[in-house]
Amino acid sequence: MPLPLVAPVFPAGKEPLPPGMTEEDRANILQAKKYQDYMTMGMESCLAKTAIAGIGGFAIGGFFSMMSSSFAYEDPLLRQNLNTTQKTMEIFKDMGRGMWRSGKGFGKVGALFAGIECVIESYRARNDMVNPVAAGFVAGGILARNSGPTGALGGGLAFAAFSAAIDLFLRREPAEYVHMPPVIECY
Amino acid sequence: MSMFGRNPSAPAGGVNPERMEMAIQETCHAKCISTRYAEGDLNKGESVCIDRCVAKFFEANKKVGERLQSVGGANASGATGAFGL
Repeated sequence: MPLPLVAPVFPAGKEPLPPGMTEEDRANILQAKKYQDYMTMGMESCLAKTAIAGIGGFAIGGFFSMMSSSFAYEDPLLRQNLNTTQKTMEIFKDMGRGMWRSGKGFGKVGALFAGIECVIESYRARNDMVNPVAAGFVAGGILARNSGPTGALGGGLAFAAFSAAIDLFLRREPAEYVHMPPVIECY
Repeated sequence: MSMFGRNPSAPAGGVNPERMEMAIQETCHAKCISTRYAEGDLNKGESVCIDRCVAKFFEANKKVGERLQSVGGANASGATGAFGL
């Protein structure tokens, strides 16, 4: 029986059962809770975060590419020897290739940044602004590795600044609540 | 705020488990959980910090216990009460 105004911590094996369950179900409940805890732990692991960020980046990249393919101008002389159906298929295939390429790029960026930030945070055991800035710097450097040392440095700084801006926005002070007086209805 | 029940158990071997648990919670909460947050879930950094803090607390406690036992057997049970917080 939980006491009022006290944290609900109980001796092991004597926690209160959910309503409608009996003592025999306790083992099942504990086992279900164990698997659920594994699930939660897996979802919060660095690998899962990297995968989710990669897939999300892929989706966003594909979506943006699809939207921008509507602005692509076509040269009518490019495919003049095909009939309408073939031309349509070709255009859609181009759109698909663009979506794939752009999705891969965004996915790489997202996965890289999320993975590095998670690793840095796990190592430092702290949650503050240093993690996204450092992760942005490393990810930017890796993405710009083919542009020589100054290029990599500039890319790292740019991505670090961008990531700092995003995280400053995400960590902003939440807006104050406006306390309205309770509505009292008198008849 | 005790995981060992409402009745304070008699110190076994000089270690009071209730006060030890209280000490763990106070120190690790003060060290690991920042005062500025917007959600109730633990961050990755905070959960890693708490894991390490508890493990280190137990290690330190064990080492202190071993040292005290080697220093003086009978005097240890009197002095450990102070270190068990």
